Amino acid sequence: MSAGGNPPVKKYWRCFVCNDVHYGVKPPGICPTCLARNAYVLISAAEALKICRPDAAMGKEEFLEAIRAFAEGNEFEVNPDPEKAATLLEGIFNNEANHGLKYCPCRLRTKDFDEDLKIICPCNFLIHETYKGLENGECWCGLFVRRSR
Amino acid sequence: MNKLIMFHGQECPHCRRMMPLVAALEKETGIVIEKLEVWHNEQNADLMRSYRPVIAAGCGGQLRVPTFFNTETSDLMCGEVEYETLKEWASR
Repeated sequence: MSAGGNPPVKKYWRCFVCNDVHYGVKPPGICPTCLARNAYVLISAAEALKICRPDAAMGKEEFLEAIRAFAEGNEFEVNPDPEKAATLLEGIFNNEANHGLKYCPCRLRTKDFDEDLKIICPCNFLIHETYKGLENGECWCGLFVRRSR
Repeated sequence: MNKLIMFHGQECPHCRRMMPLVAALEKETGIVIEKLEVWHNEQNADLMRSYRPVIAAGCGGQLRVPTFFNTETSDLMCGEVEYETLKEWASR
């Protein structure tokens, strides 16, 4: 948050060595992909989208692997109940097909772009009252649950 | 006249678990709760959005499902609840 209270404006940056794309307020000092220093140049959103291969699809299994990898080393895990996880993945992928992004099936998008970024799965559920400080905490939909000890 | 609505999502596990409780409540009391799916029906979604100031204020700032909403009194609950809690809300 800037001093004036407005959120900082994120922009797209491209590594001139390996075409790694970063979306953020500042470019990385070192490219995490090719390790080049001071390699990022500001680019347009349209250019970034083309570089990022919008045709590169991700299926449910690949997404499941991705969120399991994301959860590894964290205090939470993907819900071990396969039926519940399958239902939620179905909803997430239906929402992506019908509404453009992997929106949470247990919340409704508002049609306010910035607001709806908050409900893309995985969302920042660590701050939600259904998770924070709770021994059996879980995200609102239940796809992520606090790891059992 | 009071109108009771359950906003729900087709692939929301919490909504699915509440459905039998709603059915049991309707059978026991004769109260009718209109069930409106919001992710596959844009008309229902727009209706829920029209109540956003009230619903978001009572549901963590967001439009969560399931949400149980009384259109007359704006009395609402969101998330899974026990049968008696649901009955108490519907009977107010």
